[in-house]
Amino acid sequence: MARQLKKPAKPEEPDLLPAMGLFTILIPMLLSMTAFSKLAIVEINMPERSMMNMTDDPPPEPDQQALNLSLAITPEYLVIGARGGFQPNVYFKEMWTFRCKSDAQLITHAPEDVKSAVESGHGPKCKDGSEMDKEKYLYEIESIELWAINKESEEDPGRVIWAVYSSQSENVPDSAYVDGNNAFLAAPGEGAMGLTPPPMLKKPSAGAVLATLTPNSARTLKPDVAAKNIIYPLSAYDLIAKDLIQIHTQFIDLEDVDNIIIVANDDTQFDKIIQLMDRAKEAGFSKINLAKLGG
Amino acid sequence: MARRTRKFSEDVPFSLTSMMDMMTIILVFMIKNLDAEGQLLTQAENLILPVSTSKIQPKEVALTVVVDNNYVVVDNAKIVPTEDVLKQEDLLVTKVDSVLKERRATEQEHALKMGLPADEAGNIIVQIDKNIPYDAMYKVMATCGFSGYTHIAFAVMQKNGGEE
Repeated sequence: MARQLKKPAKPEEPDLLPAMGLFTILIPMLLSMTAFSKLAIVEINMPERSMMNMTDDPPPEPDQQALNLSLAITPEYLVIGARGGFQPNVYFKEMWTFRCKSDAQLITHAPEDVKSAVESGHGPKCKDGSEMDKEKYLYEIESIELWAINKESEEDPGRVIWAVYSSQSENVPDSAYVDGNNAFLAAPGEGAMGLTPPPMLKKPSAGAVLATLTPNSARTLKPDVAAKNIIYPLSAYDLIAKDLIQIHTQFIDLEDVDNIIIVANDDTQFDKIIQLMDRAKEAGFSKINLAKLGG
Repeated sequence: MARRTRKFSEDVPFSLTSMMDMMTIILVFMIKNLDAEGQLLTQAENLILPVSTSKIQPKEVALTVVVDNNYVVVDNAKIVPTEDVLKQEDLLVTKVDSVLKERRATEQEHALKMGLPADEAGNIIVQIDKNIPYDAMYKVMATCGFSGYTHIAFAVMQKNGGEE
């Protein structure tokens, strides 16, 4: 009898239906527990009610040995004050960065340009030529940036300072680099208001040893990190953060070294206060108080 | 020529493999973003919170005051238009103060019943739109302080969605 050849059987697919059922239950459950944007809190210091002086008695004399550090923000500059004196003003140009809904691209405009465009019946312009909603453009502000400005005198309109930043996403600055002398890799821009990056400012190549303002952050740049670096206007917040770190380190022995008062005028947006509080906390000032400029 | 009838092949089983791949990707993404601790703080509507590097999470549920472009809201009740707060000269926002004092008194009463110290400073979380002027923020903050809520925290959005 001829031997019957056995036909190779069709490979059987595993029964995936039970697994699908499990996934269908798991996904809605996880969806309800997923946090796409995480919230946090920033604590501030307020005097306790019992400590509040409700009488008209003159306030006690300030302690001459104390640091009495304050950080003031005006519409034009940031300034650090301590023991009755002030450091040089850090001038800035305020810029608003929007994310356009039409092309999902970031655009940066000066507030005065946005306001004049809105007054003439137009919204801020996107890269693809479309206009943002002139009624709701305020809700589209992704970030309020303060570009540091180099001024020769009070009358000088100044020039934007450009610096080398690390970047995680395309053209969005992350941390400014400093060299071995703790100086920013920065230079004033060219053209009107210094809005053109200076050609002399080059991106550091892979292998260069650089640091950021974060303690112990010195590192040798890897090729992938070096490729992502960008040249972007130096933030006035970063300039202030560097000064705050230096002050906190220098006066570490003083009793009130962890205290800082952030002073602002009535029109200052809340976002700027939070940015300053962040920089102060990162510099080591754990007790932050708020006060009004001239009030 | 006779028309050739088309032979139907055997029933092809519905392949779930590609669907399984998709589900696996979604599942991994969800697990990555999973917040097992839960959220004690939820963002109010009609406002954009500022982005911060802070990672501090509220330890317990606290009374929330919301300041958006239109209203000052205490515990989901609209109390006073933000415009009115900006216009007033006085630091104390009277309407907000009376609501907060009422809430504080209830909290203290509850603490006494539970045998807890009632004279501790009250906790409050203030959610403020990032474009709100400092003037409104300062007045609301001062009002909270006057009402006995001296542990004030501002709600913020974590930078990069809280990722390292």
